Amino acid sequence: MKPYNQKPLSLAARVMFFVGASVGLSLLLIGILVLNAVERHFAEQDAEEVAVINKAVIDVLRNNNDSNLQLSKALFGAVSGHHGVYYQVRNQQDKVVFESAGANLSIVKDSLRHVTEISAGNLQVWHADDKTFRGVLTHNAIAGHNYLVITAIDIGFHLQFLHKFRLTLWLIMVLTWAVTLLAAWYGVHKAHAPIRRLSNKMGDIQADRLDMRLAPSFVPSELQDLVSSFNHMIGRLEDSFNQLSHFSADIAHELRTPLTNLITQTQVGLGKSRTLEEYRELLYSNLEEQERLAKMINGMLWLAKSDHGLIKLEQTPLDLSDEVRELFGFFEALAEDKKIALTKEGHAHLILGDKAMLRRAISNLLSNAIRFTKSGESVLVRLDNPSDHEVSLTVENPGNAIPAEHLPNLFDRFYRVDPSRARQSDGAGLGLAIVRSIIEAHSGRVEVTSKSDKTAFIIYLPTTIKAIQ
Amino acid sequence: MRLLLVEDELKTGDYLQKGLSEAGFQVNLVRNGLDGHHLAMTEAFDLIVLDVMLPDVDGWRILQSLREAECQTPVLFLTARDTVDDRVKGLELGADDYLVKPFAFAELLARIRTLLRRGSPSTFSELLKVADLTLDLPKHRVTRAGKKINLSHKEFCLLELLARRQGEVLPRSLIASQVWDMNFDSDTNVIDVAIRRLRAKVDDDFEPKLIHTVRGMGYKLDVEPVDEAL
Repeated sequence: MKPYNQKPLSLAARVMFFVGASVGLSLLLIGILVLNAVERHFAEQDAEEVAVINKAVIDVLRNNNDSNLQLSKALFGAVSGHHGVYYQVRNQQDKVVFESAGANLSIVKDSLRHVTEISAGNLQVWHADDKTFRGVLTHNAIAGHNYLVITAIDIGFHLQFLHKFRLTLWLIMVLTWAVTLLAAWYGVHKAHAPIRRLSNKMGDIQADRLDMRLAPSFVPSELQDLVSSFNHMIGRLEDSFNQLSHFSADIAHELRTPLTNLITQTQVGLGKSRTLEEYRELLYSNLEEQERLAKMINGMLWLAKSDHGLIKLEQTPLDLSDEVRELFGFFEALAEDKKIALTKEGHAHLILGDKAMLRRAISNLLSNAIRFTKSGESVLVRLDNPSDHEVSLTVENPGNAIPAEHLPNLFDRFYRVDPSRARQSDGAGLGLAIVRSIIEAHSGRVEVTSKSDKTAFIIYLPTTIKAIQ
Repeated sequence: MRLLLVEDELKTGDYLQKGLSEAGFQVNLVRNGLDGHHLAMTEAFDLIVLDVMLPDVDGWRILQSLREAECQTPVLFLTARDTVDDRVKGLELGADDYLVKPFAFAELLARIRTLLRRGSPSTFSELLKVADLTLDLPKHRVTRAGKKINLSHKEFCLLELLARRQGEVLPRSLIASQVWDMNFDSDTNVIDVAIRRLRAKVDDDFEPKLIHTVRGMGYKLDVEPVDEAL
């Protein structure tokens, strides 16, 4: 574990880092290339000049048949008009025939390579007397004589120019780099403006304004995914929030009715003196309401626990056929009393499941079915294996169809198809919600279909059930 | 039968004491964990009813030190938090049963009686007799005043349960659990229907009536009518 959580680098810093590095590297490369090119250009220029001088000197040597004195004169005039040009001519006996003033070229005589052709590549550079020279040494056989010619030019002027040029170039490069970085920072800052706007908008969304959505046209294309995800999230939040507030309202309503009964009948009861029998009646009546409340609270607690995944399944191998038979035994008296037949058909594979919970779920469906079945008709439980890893249990009863618009909500807490007949039948209106949460805890699903003459609740359960925890 | 009741909530404690006393138990009520712990360790009780959430020493600690002291008095704990962990914890620590608030008083009574009966040797008699009603357990045969009564298997189980616990009020949930193995709160009136049908066979043609409805609590089988004196 790190001792502390480092904050990730800011987006601007990341962009600046990458832009800075890549632009800096490119500029450095360009600078080096340009300097190289300029230097090579100068070297070529120098080579040309050296070649011209060399040629002029050789021409003089070639055309000269006279005495040494005349030769010196001729050599001296060979390159008139050139500035900063030096040459030395030696004869076969290594005697200096001519030497330009201003540079001692003898010192490099031994260190220079002998070349036959002058090019930028084989010129050599040396320093002497605070000057920098570029030059070459050539052997020339002219009219039976061998001459050694050292030709050099002072390149101090070029170097000075190069130095200035280099300074200027690097200054421009650094400035360019700085400007690029600034531009990148500004660009990032600007590019974040939609995000800041978005963030402000999101900040405006409060619990009571969950219907607000962000307009996708409002942001650049890169952020549209974010906006639509955010909108979806808010949508889901809105749904849950609405459900929750409806649920609270429903609870309040459901609790209010028995509480009103309790308060009213107790106040009326205490309003005047009554007989023992009347008091007893009052207490019984209170007890019934209180039990209804306790049942409702227990049901709600159970559902709350299952919402939080706190329901622990005690899984055992179950044959649903056996469970249905047991449940038929339980409901037998009630069904016979109402003259309703309970029939079972089909078989299902063994499943793993919590016996008590599944019995409770099926029992809720059965008691519902019996409640809505008319005397003389029958409730059918059908077991089936829709696939190798799924079993189904259908509880079907004849009766009037449930209007289609109610079907999706039938498993919601406190949902009632007919609000007016609210509390007659089932205690709390939680029965089907409990069915659903039990089945979902078993990784199954429950569906309902209702046609003109019959209603069927179908439970699907996987044959191997993983607990939700 | 001496019961120790440890319950810090004033009203709950008072009413439980009253109800249990009226059910024939001798009840010591203490309102905090320290006193409860002290009494449980020093005096002999037949059963302890323990609230888990107490202000000072909680119920778990009391239970734990009781069991560590090798005191095997049955303990039934009351809890408001119905979490699996709580139940498991209680049972692991050596509690014998538990009830989640809110509970029905009849349920508590029935559980207490079950726990108290647990230790005592059960009667192995093959015949159960209440007034002129006789149950022949091995043969699953019922006669009343010498006349044979035909009962279905479940009806026989129901009657047997009522007869075995003669005089006790059995809540519907307990009946559903014992006779049909349905261990959940059912919203249906299955039990009432079953009792009515049983009554039609066992009581309708005979006097005195044996199966009584205790309104708001459950059913019992007894020779005495229900609180007719009141």
